[in-house]
Amino acid sequence: MILAAKTIEEFRSEFKSVDISEVPYDKQGYHLAIEAQTGNLLNIVEFLDRREFYIVDLFCVDYQDYLELVYFFNTHRELCRVKVTLKLDPEKPVAPTISHIYTIARWYEREAHEFFGIYFEGHPGLTYLFLHSGIDHYPLRRKHVPVPDNDRQLLDSFKPQEEEDCFFVNLGPQHPSTHGVLRVVLKMDGEYIVSAEPVLGYLHRMHEKMAESKSYLQFLPNPARMDYPGALLFNLAHVETVEKLCGIAVPERAKYIRTITCELNRIASHLLWLGAFPADLGGLTPFMYAFDDRENILDILEGVTGSRLTYCYFRFGGLYNDIDEESFVSATKRFIERMRERLVMYDKLITGNVIFINRIKNVGIMEQAKVRKYGSSGPFIRSTGIPFDMRKVDPYEAYGSIDFEIPTGHTGDNMDRYLVRMKEMEISLNIIEEAMKKLPSGPFQTEKVPKKLKPPKGDIYHAIESTRGETGVYIVSDESDTPYRMRWRVPSYSNLMTFPYLAQGLLIADAIATLGSYDIVVPEIDR
Amino acid sequence: MCDTIINIVNIVGKEVVRTVVGLIGVFIVVIGNAIMLTWAERKVAGHMQRRIGPKEVGPFGLIQSFADSVKLLGKELLTPANVERPLYFLAPTLIFVPVLVTFVVIPFDGFLQVKDINVGILVILAFSSLTVLSILIAGWGSNNKYSLIGAVRSVAQNIAYEIPLLLSLLPIIFMANSFSLRDVVEAQKGLWFVFYQPVAFLIFFVASVAETNRTPFDLPEAESELVAGFHTEYSGMRFSLFFLAEYTNMFIVSAIAVTFFLGGYQGPILPGVVWFFMKTYVLVFVLLWFRWTFPRVRFDQLLNFSWKILIPVSFLNLLVTGGILKL
Repeated sequence: MILAAKTIEEFRSEFKSVDISEVPYDKQGYHLAIEAQTGNLLNIVEFLDRREFYIVDLFCVDYQDYLELVYFFNTHRELCRVKVTLKLDPEKPVAPTISHIYTIARWYEREAHEFFGIYFEGHPGLTYLFLHSGIDHYPLRRKHVPVPDNDRQLLDSFKPQEEEDCFFVNLGPQHPSTHGVLRVVLKMDGEYIVSAEPVLGYLHRMHEKMAESKSYLQFLPNPARMDYPGALLFNLAHVETVEKLCGIAVPERAKYIRTITCELNRIASHLLWLGAFPADLGGLTPFMYAFDDRENILDILEGVTGSRLTYCYFRFGGLYNDIDEESFVSATKRFIERMRERLVMYDKLITGNVIFINRIKNVGIMEQAKVRKYGSSGPFIRSTGIPFDMRKVDPYEAYGSIDFEIPTGHTGDNMDRYLVRMKEMEISLNIIEEAMKKLPSGPFQTEKVPKKLKPPKGDIYHAIESTRGETGVYIVSDESDTPYRMRWRVPSYSNLMTFPYLAQGLLIADAIATLGSYDIVVPEIDR
Repeated sequence: MCDTIINIVNIVGKEVVRTVVGLIGVFIVVIGNAIMLTWAERKVAGHMQRRIGPKEVGPFGLIQSFADSVKLLGKELLTPANVERPLYFLAPTLIFVPVLVTFVVIPFDGFLQVKDINVGILVILAFSSLTVLSILIAGWGSNNKYSLIGAVRSVAQNIAYEIPLLLSLLPIIFMANSFSLRDVVEAQKGLWFVFYQPVAFLIFFVASVAETNRTPFDLPEAESELVAGFHTEYSGMRFSLFFLAEYTNMFIVSAIAVTFFLGGYQGPILPGVVWFFMKTYVLVFVLLWFRWTFPRVRFDQLLNFSWKILIPVSFLNLLVTGGILKL
């Protein structure tokens, strides 16, 4: 709050004519709103850059009369979300690029270009990001806007130019180590990587468009399909945002159960990564061990949610059903005990292995100062030493009443990312244990939730800490029962953007290890 | 005159019959060993990973690898469009020649040896270097970037590790005073050479893991980096020939280690051939154990390890051995 007030003051003294207003955070999820013009946008972004804001999201909303570009910024020190908007003419939308200030904007702007037809002046390569084959109109525009021919030529985005001394390798989309269908075009000099360019869109399903034609309740199963290893957390992001938008209260018991199940899911997701990461390094045995443990969590969650992977457990104002005192609670207690022993075993099996240490130590180092430019979040930035965790910064559910620490690393190399995730599992166990102790009795669902939700007019941004980082949902409501625009800010997307930077000059083996340490989920990136 | 001819025919005939029978025997051992090792690897992997491994086909799943071989035989031999055809076809066949020839000089027992050549170990080392040639041909002929990277890695790796391999065997040749494998075994009547030369044994074993492209040195086929490395484009029976060669190579390096360091076929009570196979398979098990325990090393680490540690140490070992023997 202090930062928000300070920013306002400084902003007003620097930009006399620009409109800045304070926004009720409880209602809309951000502190400041700035209405920029095409002329002063860059100055405003530079102003925020100087104050060490990181970029949360950049996207567009089509209000028919005008297109609105929305930029979200925040800081790692204190929660101070700033929303910068830029109105554009729908007939000829042109905006200045900010990709030279914030690197991740290179991707966000390409996304806005292909979905809305916005041109960004000065963008280094405004090619298509997700949509690779013949689209005839801009999919997220409200009216039918055909794609002009000269624009469609950009479709054949990346054609490698063969050069002397270098050759290109297509890593993926069918490759054992790309964790799904990610494709990375590697420019190689022998075994060294000259440059790496991720190519997205192989799993693109247009969830954001789907949301516009479904009611809030109907969209409930979708988020689980974005991040399948951490399905409950994405489910939570959606449910919480809608609750906040409609002002639905959640009973205490439901809050605690949400916390417990989410942390269980977080451990399951980290275990999946723990299996896959050593496998990327050639050690296949931990994979089976980790899956063995993960199986326990899946069994517990299956008992309460009914599904094993793509959970849809949370409802607006509560839960789908209550946890079973006997089977759930005792099974979870057994699991915690078992998992603590297993974590010690993993330490012995993996962490101390000389080959393993030599392979990942001081490889893929992410500098703390650079993280901001990419808008990265989650364990990825905590490994560089930034203790930024939405659970702590903006406590939701029961996290406010539970005491837990945030593990951080020092150098931001692969080893630190590994250690941070291992520590996080341990802390999740503590959180579950404490939440189980404090678990209040009472109803698990609020009584009066209407079947058809018609939230008041307005917009809201809400973020939670999913297994991979800050997962945010931005909803624009027009008082109908479907969202006017729903935007998902996904952590893997902005984490992956750092890969071209980190992979430069690495050996192919190290690049694979680095990619493995990200813990990316491709359906989440592609949405 | 007549007698001499009959004599010569007799001797030559004996040799021919011995060689033919020997080769058939070797072939059976090679195939049987590869099939058994496939089963063993899956079973060992299973138990190390808290699974059971194959168990459906036959008792303890023993027939599983036979079923797999039949399946692979029945598969269509797919030839990708852009391969260098002669090289692509040659590689899987070529990889089997050194494997078969090496078996000829290994003494399974006092009498069970196809041919005792007085430069036996040189034959083994010379022919086993051919394996890398066929890997290079496979990688080049496949016309695939992953295959090529795998093949190039394989060449660098084999050159780097052949040197410590040879240097670790030389002290034994000093001590046995012969290049013949049988003489080496006979020289270990009293105490096995592993007790005189523990450093050489360790170097030899590490180098041979690298020579056989096994984890942690399985860089030519590193599946998480290069999909399947040099044999990415091979399928069906052509792929299984590479597979067969890999398992046979594992057996060969273990057999050489047994011959040179662990007393070969010598041992009390049981017949020599049993001792030989027992010792060999213990070493093979260690190789399997490695694979399911260690992650893969990086390429520069692999080469550094050989050039900066293994080679100097094995030279030192050679010098010390020579010095002591001279005294």
